[in-house]
Amino acid sequence: MTATDTSLQTPARAGNPGSENLLVLTGITKSYGPTLANAQIDLAVRRGEVLGLVGGNGAGKSTLMRIVCGATPPTLGAIAIAGEEIALASYDAGAAQARGIRMVHQELSLCTNLSVAENFFLEAPEGATAMPGWRARYAARARAALDEVFPENSIDINAPVGQLEISERQMAEIARAAATPGVRLIILDEPTSSLGPERSRQLREYVHKRAAQGVAFIFISHKLREIVEIASSVAVLRNGQLVARSRAAETSVDLLVELMGGRQNATETGREALQPGARDTMVRIEGPWLAGRGSAITLGKGEIIGLAGLEGSGQARLLHAIFSGAAGVRREAEASFVAGDRAKEGIFPLWDVLSNITIGRIAKRAGGAWISTATEKAVAGDAASSLRLDAGRLGSGITELSGGNQQKALVARALVADAPIILLDDPTRGVDIATKQDFYALVDEIAASGRTVVWHTTEDRELLAADRVLVFSDNRIVRELSGAEISEASIIDASFSGTGGHGTAGADRPRRVDWKRHLVTAMPYFSLAVVLALMIEANPLVASSFGLDLLLMPAVALVLVAIAQMFVVGGSEIDLGVGAFAGLVSVLSATLLFDHPLVGAGAIILAILAYSALGGLIQARKIPAIVVTLGASFIWLGIGLSIQPTPGGSSPAWLSAMVNWSVGGIPTAIVMLVVIAIIAWAIDRTPLGVVLRGFGNNPGAMVMSGWHTVRYGVVRYLLAGLFASTAGMLLTALNTASDINSGNSYTLLSVAAVVMGGCALFGGIISPIGVVVGAVTLSLIGALLGILNVSSDFNAATQGAVLLAILAVRSLASRGREDT
Amino acid sequence: MIGTIRHFVAANRWVWSAIAVVLLWLALAVVTGRWSMASLSGIALSASFLAIVGLGQMMVVTTGRGNIDLSVATVMTLSAYLAMLVVRGSDQMVWLSLLVTLGLGLGVGLVNAFLVVAIRIPAIIATLATGYILATATLLANRSLQGASVSPLVRSVASGRVLGVPIMVILAIVLAVCLALVLRKTAFGQQLSAVGQNRAAARLAGVRVNRVIAAAFVLCSTLAAFNGMLLGAYTGGAFLEMGQPYLLQSVAAVVVGGTLIFGGSATALGTLFASVLLVLVVTLMQIMGLPRGAQDMVQGAVVILVLAMAAGGTMVRRRKAPAATQLEPSTTP
Repeated sequence: MTATDTSLQTPARAGNPGSENLLVLTGITKSYGPTLANAQIDLAVRRGEVLGLVGGNGAGKSTLMRIVCGATPPTLGAIAIAGEEIALASYDAGAAQARGIRMVHQELSLCTNLSVAENFFLEAPEGATAMPGWRARYAARARAALDEVFPENSIDINAPVGQLEISERQMAEIARAAATPGVRLIILDEPTSSLGPERSRQLREYVHKRAAQGVAFIFISHKLREIVEIASSVAVLRNGQLVARSRAAETSVDLLVELMGGRQNATETGREALQPGARDTMVRIEGPWLAGRGSAITLGKGEIIGLAGLEGSGQARLLHAIFSGAAGVRREAEASFVAGDRAKEGIFPLWDVLSNITIGRIAKRAGGAWISTATEKAVAGDAASSLRLDAGRLGSGITELSGGNQQKALVARALVADAPIILLDDPTRGVDIATKQDFYALVDEIAASGRTVVWHTTEDRELLAADRVLVFSDNRIVRELSGAEISEASIIDASFSGTGGHGTAGADRPRRVDWKRHLVTAMPYFSLAVVLALMIEANPLVASSFGLDLLLMPAVALVLVAIAQMFVVGGSEIDLGVGAFAGLVSVLSATLLFDHPLVGAGAIILAILAYSALGGLIQARKIPAIVVTLGASFIWLGIGLSIQPTPGGSSPAWLSAMVNWSVGGIPTAIVMLVVIAIIAWAIDRTPLGVVLRGFGNNPGAMVMSGWHTVRYGVVRYLLAGLFASTAGMLLTALNTASDINSGNSYTLLSVAAVVMGGCALFGGIISPIGVVVGAVTLSLIGALLGILNVSSDFNAATQGAVLLAILAVRSLASRGREDT
Repeated sequence: MIGTIRHFVAANRWVWSAIAVVLLWLALAVVTGRWSMASLSGIALSASFLAIVGLGQMMVVTTGRGNIDLSVATVMTLSAYLAMLVVRGSDQMVWLSLLVTLGLGLGVGLVNAFLVVAIRIPAIIATLATGYILATATLLANRSLQGASVSPLVRSVASGRVLGVPIMVILAIVLAVCLALVLRKTAFGQQLSAVGQNRAAARLAGVRVNRVIAAAFVLCSTLAAFNGMLLGAYTGGAFLEMGQPYLLQSVAAVVVGGTLIFGGSATALGTLFASVLLVLVVTLMQIMGLPRGAQDMVQGAVVILVLAMAAGGTMVRRRKAPAATQLEPSTTP
């Protein structure tokens, strides 16, 4: 850091090449409708600089950083990187990464179904080839990177990220960005939000070391002391504008607070100390929530209770537990919930503000109750005006409001519900300072009116307004602060006090999940063994080589369709047309391919291309795969019917020959099944397979890492189409003729096989060998019913029942894991 | 003036399908060279059978998350069989048969709802599986059908007319209007829309989400069963695969009518008009002499095209929502 510091005071101009500036932003403006998230921001970052970026919620920091990373295009302005003027039209996440810009997002952007090493690959795929050994390279890189940034960590490189603790995920994410070859600018958005003091110190050291080597950092944090310590320079944003830019040495926490929008005295008006217990108890918190404390915690009428701790330590969980009356919490009255994550848990985007408020009154009514618009309007209007929410905006769409006003509408919703307990889940997130002040006054009023307010906030300063503060660590309340004890320092102290206990709690959790996972994994093998045993019991000839071949040959087609379905399900979609597609290819091979081999091959290739185009269409238009593929199934059937109105045709000789061979007495069907399993398994292990699974788990993170959604939608369906069309050709070869309806029954069976094989319907987790085994089992069930002299009428019911049973077991096994 | 119209159309998306019906009917009249009210009433009659099951499907779709009831087709078929098995050609048992079919719809709806809500199986898979189990029941019913026939009373309802208007058409219109009122004016309608737009938010606002979803599934199956009984009576007997065409068509009627496939916003009148539209399309294809394969292709393509085009409009709104609310999605630790 050779400080020729004039450029620090005056933002560098874009037309100033040759300097050490790595990143130059000129006049960056971003508008969302009427709101300006960024207004005319000029900012330059030099090589080796550690820029601390601060600003209140809604100041525009994240928007600005998303623009830098290519995730959001600016409305106006210019970006230059290392002297190169960027063409904004083509600037996306991939382009930013190609220029060495990496961002560590606050909402962690790892794919939880993939291992740490695989996540490293997603961020820097250059070194990956489909050759064996590519995983080992990334595992080594991940290990080295983690050890370099955070010495003495014990993170398992090969464990799925979902099994790591939040702090470990954050460490992995930071190391991933830092380890990228050729990285020049690393943006860290609240990187220490769940790191303890020691890991934060390690990160600080690492940042300084890399900065000395010329890497630039932008460091975003709410912990201003941290900024002052780590940064070499500071930039302050307020209301979307750059209001200050100075050297870190010249600033202080107090100065930064003032620049960010002044002191928030309103929160420090100090509420008079209350005697807990002197008031009517509204909520009792007991048992599992208390960390070795004897007595239950009671929340009284008219109290403001703050919930604090590191993010995700259980504060939000307690709020939800109070709301739903879960174990460990006794609630004496109705409760209303005000969500801070407005988009996910708060607003109804299709409605206007009025409906968004009145639903609070309507939600609990009997379904047949008639709604009088006039009455609702009057009540909502009253609530809105008490919140200083402009009554003229009740008719606007809720999404047209700013974050702060949306939050007011949500509070109004809670008020019209008229519940004595109000639960606030970080409501000031992303809300401007003026609205926050309104908000604090409002919370006081609500409490004064005799309601109990339980307030989870991630801004420790807001807690000073509370009567009592419950501090969380590792899902338990570790401290209860009241009155004068409440201070930012005491809250932070208490937040970290319980982290020593992590080890034991963490050790229990994965083991329980593992046991259930093994059950799910073992299910297909177990079912296959049972079905085979029953069949051999009923008819010993089944166990012969000939018997197995006879039984398993029809299973091969189902296995192929199931593998096709597996790749689709891996992207959390379902293909309802895959059976019909196999039927179409079967018809094509028995007609066109038989009569004119070249034309037939062309037609089949064309069909596969059309099929993969569907995958692209689904992604490009964001439309549900189920309906699209259901529609497509009619197209496949229609084409098939047009080519061949009644079953018939013949199988080309070479195609039939492909199923009539044998190696050393091993049943042909078994050889084919093994080959299919190996191919599918190998595809899943290639870099492509990892990318496809990544998309199934966290498409947003994939896009941020520079992967193309539509392209991989096409590739996914191309893979599926190849397997499904092989199934179709096999059907022709086996039946030596074709019937457009021959593939129909495979659609449900393929879904059942995929589920049975251990794949997750919500995507990202697939298991090729399990699917093969599952498909074989399902296809043997029909034969088993035959041997047991059960009418074939029962085939469909048995298969449907098996599917339901499997799903029920799986759903019960995963209970509690995907709880909201 | 134009602003008012635009506002009205935005709030009443059924207008599009209504316009399309008029245009296509004109096209049909030009192709055939006849302005026949009789052909129109035939089309309206077929459309009524589609509309009744489509309206039920609409309720399920509106619960959001891509929910679709794939068991409606087999429920219709099985219901037609059961009605015949109970009635056996005389009207003595007609009320019992009504009870049995409605019971079937209610039961299947409850099972579907249980699987979706309590066991948390995705709706498509759950209803696909119940559909398969019902298919076996249909096969069994088909075997024991020997000599049974439909109830004359139900038949006279299904094919009767009042003042020249088919009773079925009146039924469908009344049902659509009732559901339109339920959706717009009752607490249930608001709760359903809330659940479909944002399930987490609905739960936190106090909506009994599971009950609302269950009600939608039960309503859907019950309407399908009722429809199956009437369709069986109209065609003079149940047959396997009778309900099959109604699977895709019911989804198509919902989507084409302007109900959002992602849930949260439904239009009963839109579903009604779209049913007429789809029947018109099929009729037109038949008049033009297209073979069945081509008809299937056109129907599939219509669904995909409508979805792909409609997604543009709705998704802009949906995408804008997070953008506007998440100016700072990742602040605060």
